[in-house]
Amino acid sequence: MRSAPEGRTPAGRLRLLAVDVETTGLDPARDALLAVGFVPVDGTRVDLRGARRVVVRHDGDPGPSVALHGLTHDVLSDGVPLEQVLAELLAALAGRVLLAHHAPLEIGFLDAACRRLTGSPLRTPVVDTVALQRRLVTSAWEPEPAPGSLRLWAARRRFGLPDVPAHDALSDAIACAELYLAQVAELTAAGGGQEPTLSRLRATGGWRSALRRRWR
Amino acid sequence: MALDVELAEIRSFLAGHPPFDQLPGPVLDALPRSLAIEYFRRGTLILARGEQPTRLLVVRSGAVDVHDRDGLLVDRGGAGTCVGGRALVAGEVSHDQVSAFEDTLVLSLPAAAFETLRAAHPVLTRFFAPPDEERLGRAAVVRRAGARDGSVLRTHVRDLVRRSPVTVSGAASVTEAARVMAQERVSSLLVLVDGRLAGILTDRDLRTRVLAAGRDPGVPVAEVMTRDPVGTPPDALALDVLLELVTRNIHHLPVVSEGRPIGMVTATDLLHLEQANPVYLVGDIQRAPDEQAVARLGGRLGEVVESLVDQDASADDIGRILTLVGDAVERRLLELAEGRLGTPPVPYAWLSLGSRARREQALHADQDHALLLDDAAGAEHAAYFATLAEDVTRGLEAAGYPRCPGEVMATNPARRVPLRAWRHQFTSWLDRPSPEAVLQASIYFDLRHVHGEERLTSLLLDHVRDSARSATLFLAHLAKEAAAHPPPLGFFRGLVLEKAGAHRDTLDIKRGGAGLVVKVARVHALAVGSPATNSRTRLGDAVGAGVLSEALGADLRDAWEFLSFVRLRHQAGQVREGVEADNFVAPDELSSFEKRHLREAFAVVRTAQGALGQRHPLHAVP
Repeated sequence: MRSAPEGRTPAGRLRLLAVDVETTGLDPARDALLAVGFVPVDGTRVDLRGARRVVVRHDGDPGPSVALHGLTHDVLSDGVPLEQVLAELLAALAGRVLLAHHAPLEIGFLDAACRRLTGSPLRTPVVDTVALQRRLVTSAWEPEPAPGSLRLWAARRRFGLPDVPAHDALSDAIACAELYLAQVAELTAAGGGQEPTLSRLRATGGWRSALRRRWR
Repeated sequence: MALDVELAEIRSFLAGHPPFDQLPGPVLDALPRSLAIEYFRRGTLILARGEQPTRLLVVRSGAVDVHDRDGLLVDRGGAGTCVGGRALVAGEVSHDQVSAFEDTLVLSLPAAAFETLRAAHPVLTRFFAPPDEERLGRAAVVRRAGARDGSVLRTHVRDLVRRSPVTVSGAASVTEAARVMAQERVSSLLVLVDGRLAGILTDRDLRTRVLAAGRDPGVPVAEVMTRDPVGTPPDALALDVLLELVTRNIHHLPVVSEGRPIGMVTATDLLHLEQANPVYLVGDIQRAPDEQAVARLGGRLGEVVESLVDQDASADDIGRILTLVGDAVERRLLELAEGRLGTPPVPYAWLSLGSRARREQALHADQDHALLLDDAAGAEHAAYFATLAEDVTRGLEAAGYPRCPGEVMATNPARRVPLRAWRHQFTSWLDRPSPEAVLQASIYFDLRHVHGEERLTSLLLDHVRDSARSATLFLAHLAKEAAAHPPPLGFFRGLVLEKAGAHRDTLDIKRGGAGLVVKVARVHALAVGSPATNSRTRLGDAVGAGVLSEALGADLRDAWEFLSFVRLRHQAGQVREGVEADNFVAPDELSSFEKRHLREAFAVVRTAQGALGQRHPLHAVP
């Protein structure tokens, strides 16, 4: 297995995997994982050759949010066993940083699946586009982002990225990956042409945590 | 398979943009899987000049600027614009530099995958091949192919001939001829001598030359017929017939093949083809009893344009027909004014200038005209011509031709002078040119006789033609001006040019389009001593004189036709909506096919502007 990227890797050489999950709810302890979508990001390029959406097999009734995702019972019973889904995802994630929009949800469900099936937690560095967006839209004068401005489609609009009607795990993973490219471009420009490193991308807080770090 | 559906959004994006829209469905299904997505922040370089592209880029959102080797903006494209395709197909480095004008998201196809795709689908290679002279011409053909059939403009004369000609021998008596006409229910006969067409006998001839003249109906037809009538070949277009009938004020035209009559075409035949027929409008204008009637008829010009555009007439034809109507209005107003003011005290010529002089009139064109007086004119005649000019100008205004803001009108005393003063004026423009004077004077070099003493106009035109071709400095100034304004290449795919005012976000298709071709044609025509005013004819003369390559000449004619048609169609749409016609075209009025051809037309104009500069060296201009 490839080793995880180091903190000082610049964005241009960073390998990530944008991931999005479709679930029946928000609680990994109670709700079910229905599908996983992912697409690799190599530096500043989203590679659609590696784009995948895998539906998890469910024989029982996974619950009411099924309708929301358009995943019918037929589709779900045609799906892949969770072990296999996880294996595919972990293979794709090898040597990469997990990239997600509001990563705690993805981490929560994937970590729960890992613990249940392999007995060990999910270990991966994470970059969250919500955190990056918060950093870009807040300042000392605007410490709080405008309500709703961190949501995926609002964040994309700020960069003039196209609205996409679809809403499934893969299209959201691609949308997240595109947003990430735009964010890195803006952070690079703000840094006088210096690409942000992985450590910089992982720093979660906005201006306040940056301030705290400086004074520590 | 389910995976391909996931990328359906990217697939449908590609399916909506050329050249990918030409690919078969299954190929489009698989294509997204070969792509990557990249992002360029506004202002960043996407492809450098001299760089070998490693991939084909397709703008997904945002916009890119393309600058040529001279650093000139040659293209600005939004979603769907391809970057690097031309260099990849040619196997060369990029001649252009491409940068992000806005924050831009692109789809990228690696060069190797593009090669494979291109090998299987030659349509891609054709799309990215450099533009050739055929393309614009083909655009015009494609445009016309979708049109309705049966319009007066595309019908051939032979299709109008309903029966073999009714003929009579020249030796037959008038009485016999009248009997044949009655039997055959025709209003005219062709008169044959030795089997060849010798004359035509019409109802009107019987009335005016026999009955009213009190002649014996026993005389031979040959004595009262109209000799050697104007005829038309069977492969002429109905449009030609229409113009012939109108300009000669006749109603019958024999169709003649190799000297033998094969039929007859009448104004009525044309009426069956056309409802909103300009022939009848012109006829009505010629008979209008007063200025109010002229104004009312002139106001129907919009309908004429609408109907001609509907029939997909060429811009060239439409320009000629609008010119015909405009000329009729102007002539009728002059006749009415003369009727009121009395016979002109000295001979004069009324001159048309600008677009109507070039036979390229569109809607909402300013009136541009001048008065050329005989050298015998003196101060005592000034009042007559001042009133004449004012009356006609007011009449034209009422008929829908706005006054020229630049005072290029006979109401301007400086533009209402004797022949010697006009000669002097042209000589001073030609011999002592300055950039401002050249700009101001150029419209006077598109000059055509409309009414009055044609001899005066010919004398002036001969003088202008002889002196202009050797006026090197003047021509260099004119060439410099013609090349000074490159076509507005920034107008593409929702991106805009006019940044302020009522017309923001539109393209001025006159100033930035066909008008540029007109300027190029004018310089060439004056340089080779061509007497033509029409831009297409001028370009043909320039090619004939060897100063313009045949290919570029053909390209320029196609570009003029395309740009002018876009303008006329825009105006026809405004007529339909009941708003005043103008020259400001919005991007969404154009299909992506048309945008592509607009782009090529602009490229042709740029090439021609460059060539013009070389032929009339600007360094000669201080």
